[in-house]
Amino acid sequence: MSLAKVFEEHPERRYIEFGGKGGLGKTTLSAATAYWLAKKGYKVLVFSVDPQASLSDIFQRDIFGKGAVEIIPGLFAQEIDADKRIKEYQDEIRRKILDMYGLDKVPDEVERYIQAAAAEPAMEESAIFDQVVDIVVKGDYDYYIYDLVPLGHALYYLSMATVYDQWIDKITKLRQEMEEYSKVASIMQRKKEFEEDKILRELQEIRYRINTSSSILTDREKTAFFFVIIPEEMAILDTEKAAKLFAKYKVPISGYVVNRVLPPELESQNIPEYLRYRLEMQKKHLATIKEKFGDQVLAYVPEFERDITGLDMIHRVAEVLFGKID
Amino acid sequence: MSEGKGFRRFLDSALEFLYGMAGHDMTRFALKTRGSMEHLFILITMGDMLGVPILPPYYSLRILPYVVPQIATWKRRMLRERDLTDALA
Repeated sequence: MSLAKVFEEHPERRYIEFGGKGGLGKTTLSAATAYWLAKKGYKVLVFSVDPQASLSDIFQRDIFGKGAVEIIPGLFAQEIDADKRIKEYQDEIRRKILDMYGLDKVPDEVERYIQAAAAEPAMEESAIFDQVVDIVVKGDYDYYIYDLVPLGHALYYLSMATVYDQWIDKITKLRQEMEEYSKVASIMQRKKEFEEDKILRELQEIRYRINTSSSILTDREKTAFFFVIIPEEMAILDTEKAAKLFAKYKVPISGYVVNRVLPPELESQNIPEYLRYRLEMQKKHLATIKEKFGDQVLAYVPEFERDITGLDMIHRVAEVLFGKID
Repeated sequence: MSEGKGFRRFLDSALEFLYGMAGHDMTRFALKTRGSMEHLFILITMGDMLGVPILPPYYSLRILPYVVPQIATWKRRMLRERDLTDALA
């Protein structure tokens, strides 16, 4: 099985994700995949949910917080600026309060809460998570490529979604019960109109957003999740552990890509001992990878002689992953 | 015509009387229960205002505008001292 074949056989998988330990090349592979799809004529958005995103670096353009920026025809890249998003969100809340009650200043107590809430550690993740929903629900693109955060964070995302969902479920029930009591009161007082609970509607909207964002990560039909590994012991062990956890959250794992493989032809050349040892080590770990992941390995990407930044290098990586690009 | 109107008025008064006798208490109870639940709801969603963080605050903020008027009474109720007579209320 090759990576290109996975895409051809499953055209319905439109949410593409690369996950793995930090620094193994998730951004590189995301960019190369987006590049290949765009060259094939699709409209692709590659976006980063990492607060320390590196799409700007790889495309050598400052796209941070600038929305979707077109890199080449059909290829759009976006880095979400969480801080900016949080500020906008706070302003939205303030405006809503002022409008709803005709105030010209948010009450001190409420203002303090709005500010304190933004300083919570989960705020950034939630804000990014929430914006992803807006991006994906719009449906402007053929493919969405997630440049995921390192594994731990991604799992945190998923578990957060589950907790949120249950939480919303509980308070929605509480709210519905409250509505019953209001109804009883208004019937007894023979009021013709019964005011609908706006909070209940808000809760349902929140729940919709949470479910949408977590289903993007876990949708069996529409999602393809690829693990990036390198032939090193720690990476292999960590990935194995992560794969088990991801399976628990029902993330559909589509395969593995092995990155940073030293070119085997080096062996026949006159190379220093240091490099020969590295080659030996990688050979051993490649055998382990083969044994553990077998035909789930979809591509091997060599260690290049220079940094992978700029479109020329992305083009080279894409050709290694998918075959010749015309 | 005027007789019909008179009857209507009588009926309305009778209903109000009945409501006062039987319904008012029920309504009061329903509204009181709802009020307590409202406070419970605010505690669950905005707990960290009192230093009880219960929920990641991103979505709490979305609900915040709707509970602004209740916050003052809610805080007063949550933080006030209680004694035996509270059980009787």
